[in-house]
Amino acid sequence: MSKSISEKNLHALLDRLITGGARVVGPKRAGTMTLYEPLAAGNELTLAELPRRSSKETFFPVCEPILAYAKEEGKMTVTDVDLSALPETVLIAARPCDAAAPGILDAVFSWDYHDAFYLERRRKATIIGVACTSADDACFCTAVGLNPGERQGSDLFLAPLQGGGFAAEAVTAKGETLLSAHADLFAAGDGTALPLATPGAAPLDLGRIKTWLDANFEHPLWNQYAEICAGCGACAFLCPACHCFDISDEGSELKGERRKHWDACGFGKFSLHASAHNPRDVQPQRYRNRIMHKFKYYRDKFDQTLCTGCGRCIRVCPVGIDIKEILDEINSN
Amino acid sequence: MKDNEVKSSTAIDPAAYAAATTALRAEALRLLAAGAAAAVVGYRAGRRGSAQPFVATTPEQAAELIFTPACVNNLALYLTKAKKEVSRRGKLAIVAKGCDLRAIFGLIGESQFKREDVILLGVACAGVYRAGISGAPSLTEATLASKCKECTVHVPTGVDFLAGSLPEIPPMAAEEAAALARLEAMTRQERWAFWKEQFSRCVRCLACRQVCPFCFCEQCLCDRNRPQAVESTPRPAGNMSWHIVRAMHLAGRCAGCAECERVCPMDIPLNLLNRKMAQELKTLYGQEAGLEVQEKGPLTSYHEKDDESFIK
Repeated sequence: MSKSISEKNLHALLDRLITGGARVVGPKRAGTMTLYEPLAAGNELTLAELPRRSSKETFFPVCEPILAYAKEEGKMTVTDVDLSALPETVLIAARPCDAAAPGILDAVFSWDYHDAFYLERRRKATIIGVACTSADDACFCTAVGLNPGERQGSDLFLAPLQGGGFAAEAVTAKGETLLSAHADLFAAGDGTALPLATPGAAPLDLGRIKTWLDANFEHPLWNQYAEICAGCGACAFLCPACHCFDISDEGSELKGERRKHWDACGFGKFSLHASAHNPRDVQPQRYRNRIMHKFKYYRDKFDQTLCTGCGRCIRVCPVGIDIKEILDEINSN
Repeated sequence: MKDNEVKSSTAIDPAAYAAATTALRAEALRLLAAGAAAAVVGYRAGRRGSAQPFVATTPEQAAELIFTPACVNNLALYLTKAKKEVSRRGKLAIVAKGCDLRAIFGLIGESQFKREDVILLGVACAGVYRAGISGAPSLTEATLASKCKECTVHVPTGVDFLAGSLPEIPPMAAEEAAALARLEAMTRQERWAFWKEQFSRCVRCLACRQVCPFCFCEQCLCDRNRPQAVESTPRPAGNMSWHIVRAMHLAGRCAGCAECERVCPMDIPLNLLNRKMAQELKTLYGQEAGLEVQEKGPLTSYHEKDDESFIK
């Protein structure tokens, strides 16, 4: 049976979850922008714009300690992070391009090595997706197999209704549990949904792109599009699917932490060997890795595409590199 | 007639940009066809009304060059050793707005290359868009970058070629100077709280460093880990150190292109720091970066007349 929830009741639901001890993360106004951040109250939620950074940090924080060390009276102690202390989390109002990403990342974080930090957060999280009603000229989810009404990755899915409120649909058992536990806040019937966003990007032939990438590790295209790359990590850091991280030991001889933090293949240091040799010596080679990883290597390994078409890398690139333009070029080859 | 007057007092005439484009294309074509330059570093149109840096290497590619208010990048970056894949092509010609030219002169002063190694294609520039503008709206106080509202180098001098001429520019409020004045009016504690809050948002994507023409160190101090000088993880203390180290390292060198601020995905107003440092240098040593090629900056040279009152 279809259900709906008013905006007021949605806020009440979030308040109830927060009061119950859950960490509720959702789009929240933060200075000049919107970010996915822990909400202190349901009414902090804002759906006005796509958050500047993706929601991946709900599961894969910008930086987190993975162990702590201390030396006292000559004795060194090493303390693991107590993952059982991680709170139950509800990610609310993730757009389809963000909600789909954790499901894609699960493959790599549970592959040869099980990343307990990521997986424990995932296990304790429920994702409430929201249909997307506004796209701009950088959006291209429809080019990579998703769409503004896509439920992939959501446990519960909301669709904004004309006149306010949302249609609510349980997509997974987790979503069903959440919905039935708070059935008093939902009403029967689903109303008329607001029109979905129309990103206007035609589907790419991802198989064809993969075939081209298989054959063209060396190609003038890399230099043509990426010679100007400045080598920052803005694209990777805003991306819902980029998941490379570095591990740094920081602190003093007496006390400190080992920290896991975001890394980016655009950085010159990313593939720098201890010998000082760098197999990716210049920027086009580093940018090539970004495309290869998303559209070839991840398909080779996990049969999935490491891009949800959110367009953040296009909007943020300091030098205007446009991944959609490059994919179009490859697609037409 | 009256309508025209109103229009001219609010928006900058786009015709000047079109004229500059035509002139740049012709000069680039001449240089590339004659083999006088191995490449011309300029701008080309992007898919979304944007412009992006472009390295033209053939006479045919000269026709792709543009100059529009979307040409925000400081191309001086591509002359540095940080972008060796561009600079090793051979003799470069480069399109330079006045603000970019200041960085080029600064780099020559720091012996990064010689004046005769590069062909400077200056362009008269009334201003460029602020960050976050897409499409091609008219250039008004609302769409213009803050730095352009206080620009003193609209028409570059000391160049090999000058494209375009300056259209009439309506008077505009100096918003960056006002923001700096607000910061200066704060107490130390308030100012500390302001920057602490700003830097807490930093994710260490290093876009500020990577677009800066003066961040050409092959080994950045802040990348070192044996021993580590500055925490490289995005956490409040390390972020604060990183941005302060950078501001100090740029003092007397940064010529205010404000690229670091434009590209910051977290909207940190980095140019306020740079501008404050520049102001201090002007007050203390009467120096302004990049107005001419200088052999040594005030912080890398000694004069008997230097203020030593800080030595206690």
